[in-house]
Amino acid sequence: MHKLGRGHRDKVQQFMAITGSSEKAAVQALKASDWHLEGAFDIFYSQPHIRTVTDSRHLEELYNRYKDPYVDMILVDGITLLCNDLQVDPQDIVMLVVSWHMKAATMCEFSRQEFIGGLQYLGIDTIEKFRDKLSYMRSELKDEQKFREIYNFAFGWAKEKGQKSLALDTAIGMWQLLFAERHWPLVDHWCQFLQVRHNKAISRDTWSQLLEFAKTVDLQLSNYDEEGAWPYLIDEFVEYLTENGIVQRHQN
Amino acid sequence: MSAQRKRNFKIEAFKHRVDLDPKYAEKTWKVLEHAIHEIYNHNASGLSFEELYRNAYNMVLHKHGEKLYSGLVTTMTWHLKEISQSIEAVQGDLFLDELNRKWGEHTKALQMIRDILMYMDRTFITSSRKTPVYELGLNLWRDNIIRSSKIQDRQLNTILELIHKERTGEVINRGLMRNITKMLMDLGSSVYQEDFEKPFLDVSASFYSGESQQFIECCNCGEYLKKAERRLNEEMERVSQYLDTKTEPKITCVVEKEMIANHMKQLVHMENSGLVNMLVDDRYEDLIRMYNLFQRVTEGLRLIRDLMTSHLRETGKQLVTDPERFKDPVDFVQRLLNEKDKYDKIIAAAFNNDKSFQNALNSSFEYFINLNSRSPEFISLYVNDKLHKNLKGVSEEDVEIVLDKVMMLFRYLQEKDIFEKYYKQHLAKRLLSGKIVSDDAKRNLIVKLKTECGYQFTSKLEGMFTDMKTSQDTMQGFYASQGFEAGEGPTLVVQVLTTGSWPTQPSAACNLPAEILGVCDKFRAYYLGTHSGRRLTWQTNMGTADLKATFAKGQKHELNVSTYQMCILMLFNSVDRLSCKEIEQATAIPSQDLKRCLQSLACVLGKNVLRKVPMSKDIAEDDIFSINDKFMSKFFKIKIGTVTAQKESEPEKQETRQQVEEDRKPQIEAAIIRVMKARRVTGYNSIVMEVTKQLQPRFLPNPVVIKKRIEFLIEREFLERDEGDRKLYRYLA
Repeated sequence: MHKLGRGHRDKVQQFMAITGSSEKAAVQALKASDWHLEGAFDIFYSQPHIRTVTDSRHLEELYNRYKDPYVDMILVDGITLLCNDLQVDPQDIVMLVVSWHMKAATMCEFSRQEFIGGLQYLGIDTIEKFRDKLSYMRSELKDEQKFREIYNFAFGWAKEKGQKSLALDTAIGMWQLLFAERHWPLVDHWCQFLQVRHNKAISRDTWSQLLEFAKTVDLQLSNYDEEGAWPYLIDEFVEYLTENGIVQRHQN
Repeated sequence: MSAQRKRNFKIEAFKHRVDLDPKYAEKTWKVLEHAIHEIYNHNASGLSFEELYRNAYNMVLHKHGEKLYSGLVTTMTWHLKEISQSIEAVQGDLFLDELNRKWGEHTKALQMIRDILMYMDRTFITSSRKTPVYELGLNLWRDNIIRSSKIQDRQLNTILELIHKERTGEVINRGLMRNITKMLMDLGSSVYQEDFEKPFLDVSASFYSGESQQFIECCNCGEYLKKAERRLNEEMERVSQYLDTKTEPKITCVVEKEMIANHMKQLVHMENSGLVNMLVDDRYEDLIRMYNLFQRVTEGLRLIRDLMTSHLRETGKQLVTDPERFKDPVDFVQRLLNEKDKYDKIIAAAFNNDKSFQNALNSSFEYFINLNSRSPEFISLYVNDKLHKNLKGVSEEDVEIVLDKVMMLFRYLQEKDIFEKYYKQHLAKRLLSGKIVSDDAKRNLIVKLKTECGYQFTSKLEGMFTDMKTSQDTMQGFYASQGFEAGEGPTLVVQVLTTGSWPTQPSAACNLPAEILGVCDKFRAYYLGTHSGRRLTWQTNMGTADLKATFAKGQKHELNVSTYQMCILMLFNSVDRLSCKEIEQATAIPSQDLKRCLQSLACVLGKNVLRKVPMSKDIAEDDIFSINDKFMSKFFKIKIGTVTAQKESEPEKQETRQQVEEDRKPQIEAAIIRVMKARRVTGYNSIVMEVTKQLQPRFLPNPVVIKKRIEFLIEREFLERDEGDRKLYRYLA
């Protein structure tokens, strides 16, 4: 928003207020219409995949259903209830996707802004609509780009507030979850290796680079480049695999 | 004047009509022919030069140059054939003589003929592009004599035979040889080369090939080289005496190839006399010879240098990894210095200070010194030793020289920061033990280290010196403030050490005897009075004490002991016997240190002021200690130090190494930041390279450690990975 000029900013505000859309969609539509409000409305409503208008009253009701009685947030109990209503297991990875859409800061809690904002973005204002969206959200995991974003998001989301690194146990749990979706055969060895050799928290860099590693390096490690600026944990992992004969590396 | 008829006057050349007798040409030629005959028959004196010249002149003038020329050719050829036969007829040794003689005559004759026919040379020959007379004469000689089938081979063989004889030690007629080769050269360089030089080189090659084979089987390396050198000199002399100078490089090349190049490897590796033996035995003369000879051959020097390097590395490695050597660090270093000296001398004396050899020496030393991770520690001990002892009677210059040599070794170290750590420890011990050592020598070393490693390295060392000085001043001030208290209480000398400059040691405060406590507190009050805001902690594990002891039979001694030991001994002023446990409780000295102290007080002969029951070497909790009434020593002053354990024990060593590793981390991080600040975006490899370069004066960083530090900095958000290329890192301002 701060990149826009004064006049533009006003238009975006107006647009959002009228259509109930997100800032992103508003900017998109306005840009496409060369910053004419009427034109923007046309574009917005004529788009096939537009976010449907959500009723803010419904959203308030939904939020209040799940919110904790003492704090203005949805906490564990609320989430459990939500999952029940959605007929989904709280451990189901789709909840991660939901959290990602909501830009939730930490796992097991949603703030008002996160919850309402997220649902608005998704065009959901009833439980039924929510349930329907779930399969769409699951499919998002198949998209390479989105999966990467979700994966990287998971780090910040899963770690303790105020910590820089992710506790090992949590990390392993997340990896198991994520790599069940996008299959990586070495994930078990990786987790074992960490427990045996490392036993400390995981840094963000290691987390994100692991995905790259899983994506680019083949199972025989034949295209693993020692000079490839991989995090040292991954270098050690490769050593571990070779030492224990799990992988025969043929040096070129 | 009538202009009716114009007549053009032509001016024509005056035609001198000379009626040439058609037989004129023939007649003139006959005269000349006769003259040539006479010349060849050594009857030239009767001839008139002027007449003959005129005759030739006329012939050419009247366009009979061709006849003259061809006649010349015929006549000379005829004569040469005669000469050839006469040469062929000569038997045996006189062959070359005859050849030489006839050549001389021919050239003389040729000169005369050329003079006579000079006009033809200048006119007819230039216009008809025929070979000039002198050259013609040479060519005819070449074709009819030298290249005649009967003479050619015989000539060559005779020459070669003579050379061979000379090579095998006989004396030959060099003058004659010179003339013959000169003749060949005069005939043209191609004649010289084909008719002599090439076969000469071939024969020489096989001669030397055979000889070198022979030599190498029966001689050792040194002898062989002497012979090779001799042969080489011989050949060069031969060339200067009777061969063309252009032959020199060619024949030396042959000798070099046959005698040196072909046998280089064998020579150098020869058992008991090869390069290695020469190096070990310092055989400078042989080495100089080898260097000079091998220099002439491609790869010769490289061979020597490589072998020297590998030998040096081997010896060095053995020196450095031999566990026996570890027992005496000073000796260890001394041997290294000796080795360096030895090779410096060899390179200077025998290898002409060749830079590439110097470099090989340096790289070898760098290689094996760092094979032993304790080298820095040992070098520090060595320095410690040299500066501490032997200062009586050793001049300053000598100390200077030794320090310079040690600096050379120091430069080879990859882990200079370990040296610094140990040196600090040793220096601290020395300074605090109250041994008065020459300040200058110590300062000298620090200056040298500063030049080598920069200010940071030595700032702490200098801090230690400053503290000592300041403490002296503080003590003066303290005693001045106390007033003179003769004989009352113990005399206290305090050194105030700034934390950070001195090596940290865990200070476990023990219980000081009451007498000491009193004066200590006075000092504390005094000091904090003048320096408020500071904290003082007594380092009871680092002090010493001088005790006056009177034993049962009246023996008086002065004992110099550590603070701990003093605490122990003072206990016996009030009690007769104590168990180890009791001593521990009373003094609060840590158990390990206590045991060591008790051992040095009770178990060392000549210093056993305490008696221990049972009399074993080990200290057990229930051992009973008492003053040894029967203590005897011929010395009045006795120093009972705790085991000066100069070399570290294993756990101490681990600890030191760990400390050093910890210290390195921030240094590596600082280097990484510096690099990234300068480059903004760069890849992992170049970070490693730059960081290593920056830290080179201190230590060699492990790339894995660098990587870990990079990741640490990423976590702390000093750096990030580039979004586009995961191999690049970006500096975050």
